[in-house]
Amino acid sequence: MRNYETFSTTADTGIRFRGRGHAELYANALRGLNLLLFGRNPRLAKQKGTAIPFRFRGDGPENVLVNLLAAAVALAGQEGQQVTATDIRRADGCRLDALLLTAPCPRLPRIDVKAVTYHDLRVRERNGVLRAAVVLDI
Amino acid sequence: MSRAIGQFVEVAPCRWRLGKAADRAMTADAEVFATREILQQALDDGAIEQVVNVACLPGLAGSSLAMPDIHHGYGFCIGGVAAFPADGGIVLPGGVGYDINCGVRLLASSIPESEFAAVADAVGHALLARIPSGLTARGLRPLNKKEFQRLAAGGVGEVARRFGSDPGDMEFIESGGCLPFDAPGALGPRACERGAAQLGSLGSGNHFIEVQAVEEIFDPAAARVFGLEPGHVAVMIHTGSRGFGHQVASDYIETFRRRNLARLKLRDPQLVHAAIASSEGRNYLQALNAASNFAWANRQLIQEEVIAVLEEALAMGRRQLGLRLVYDQAHNIAKFEHHEVDGRALELLVHRKGATRAFGPGHPDLPSRYRGTGQPVILPGSMGSSSYVLRGTAAGTAAGTFFSSAHGAGRRLSRHQAIKLSAGEDVRERLRGQGVLVFSLSSQGLKEEIPEAYKDIDDVAAATVAAGISEKVARLRPLLVVKG
Repeated sequence: MRNYETFSTTADTGIRFRGRGHAELYANALRGLNLLLFGRNPRLAKQKGTAIPFRFRGDGPENVLVNLLAAAVALAGQEGQQVTATDIRRADGCRLDALLLTAPCPRLPRIDVKAVTYHDLRVRERNGVLRAAVVLDI
Repeated sequence: MSRAIGQFVEVAPCRWRLGKAADRAMTADAEVFATREILQQALDDGAIEQVVNVACLPGLAGSSLAMPDIHHGYGFCIGGVAAFPADGGIVLPGGVGYDINCGVRLLASSIPESEFAAVADAVGHALLARIPSGLTARGLRPLNKKEFQRLAAGGVGEVARRFGSDPGDMEFIESGGCLPFDAPGALGPRACERGAAQLGSLGSGNHFIEVQAVEEIFDPAAARVFGLEPGHVAVMIHTGSRGFGHQVASDYIETFRRRNLARLKLRDPQLVHAAIASSEGRNYLQALNAASNFAWANRQLIQEEVIAVLEEALAMGRRQLGLRLVYDQAHNIAKFEHHEVDGRALELLVHRKGATRAFGPGHPDLPSRYRGTGQPVILPGSMGSSSYVLRGTAAGTAAGTFFSSAHGAGRRLSRHQAIKLSAGEDVRERLRGQGVLVFSLSSQGLKEEIPEAYKDIDDVAAATVAAGISEKVARLRPLLVVKG
């Protein structure tokens, strides 16, 4: 498995990702979403844009992931902004305190992600690597 | 857990039961209304496990059910039906889905197919240009905050009052196009913001406007009552509550999680639920009603725009064109209904996700016009294939489904598989060759929606009839499709 990749279910689609620790897991979740929405991730050197604070405290990493991805989906769909990078200040299993660095979307998203679901979502750890798969309603 | 077809018993034609003894956690049986082939597909794609997961929920009335268009969803399968007692039962947003009151409406007309053919191309272009579709954030009628609140409470009645649509249509919309909503505080600000901007928009994915020809009549008496005549044009509109419904569902899944997750034993966290009587349960049901009202209003406004396009193209008025709403039905919704379970009359909260209500003849909630025939049940096919109009029956089997039926063909292939299968193909040209004009802003969207991505609608209709949950009335052939 790559650090992040997309997959399909019969009716929906999703992203799979992994990371050594929660900070990397959350960052790769956003990269997976970019891959799904725009076909690739932005080149970091070309980023210009604004920093949007994201602070969330929840009941577990699944809760953090759904809310983080939902925020990124809303930025893309409603504000026309793509999260190009993350500056993570604090990340653990129940919280994320980060700046989402954004830039105008390079093009319209390839698909209309309507919601981020909890379907079968469970962050699992194996050999020190955290893994998760999130199904998106499209 | 992997299951095999041998664990199911076909208790009646196209009615398969998995007894609750099959799994320790099941509190009720699971029943699937399908052919053997559809059941096998549902086993293969994981949808059956989702029916079983629902059968593990507390307080289920009757069985955990799946209709003949069953396929894998999130939490609930698509085509799933589950009912819980109004008194002491639970409500789950995952049993409704994110696109609250996604549904279909059908218009009949007296426009001959040959007359429509002469203007079809112009109509397709006009529909695509005038009705916002795809990834748009703005609808035909953006509303301010006050207007939005009034619409959330008034549904189609508010559209009639404010935008002048025919109030007579309300009789032919499930629940009259309005469910009770009097708790504005149950709606989050973001949900309202998204809804206010998007009223009168089709959306994307499998949403569509389709102009069809009435091809074949199976039940002439019912077809006459529904206003369907062979060779005449009909219009089908499929869309829902847009970003408003999605935000309501997302907001309440978070609320339910916060309040209840720790004490629930769930096989899938998407099945998080709350007591109907709890404050979060009551608030969700209020918000669900508001989103349902929005969806009916959305379809009403799109209908008015479609009628305006047809009037202009054919230079005749709505009455001369014989355009009349046959019915508007929801297929992602939870509503309180009265049913008999094990000989007891109960008020139940019936969740239908990708499933349609199908009341039989004589049901008091039907408009007087349809009391003798049963409810029109609209069964859209895939882009390029036929659709069916069925009618609800009062048969015993139908009662066992809480009078529910399939909502469409049901996907068979994932979107990736569909794109792969149609690689290098011009989908528009292929369908044009089959006599179907296709209009869409998204070429990839068309590839995702190729006919092969769906089950054969004839099989789904046949399984529905064989299972005794609806009867065929008419088959409609697509002439023109506008895809979101």
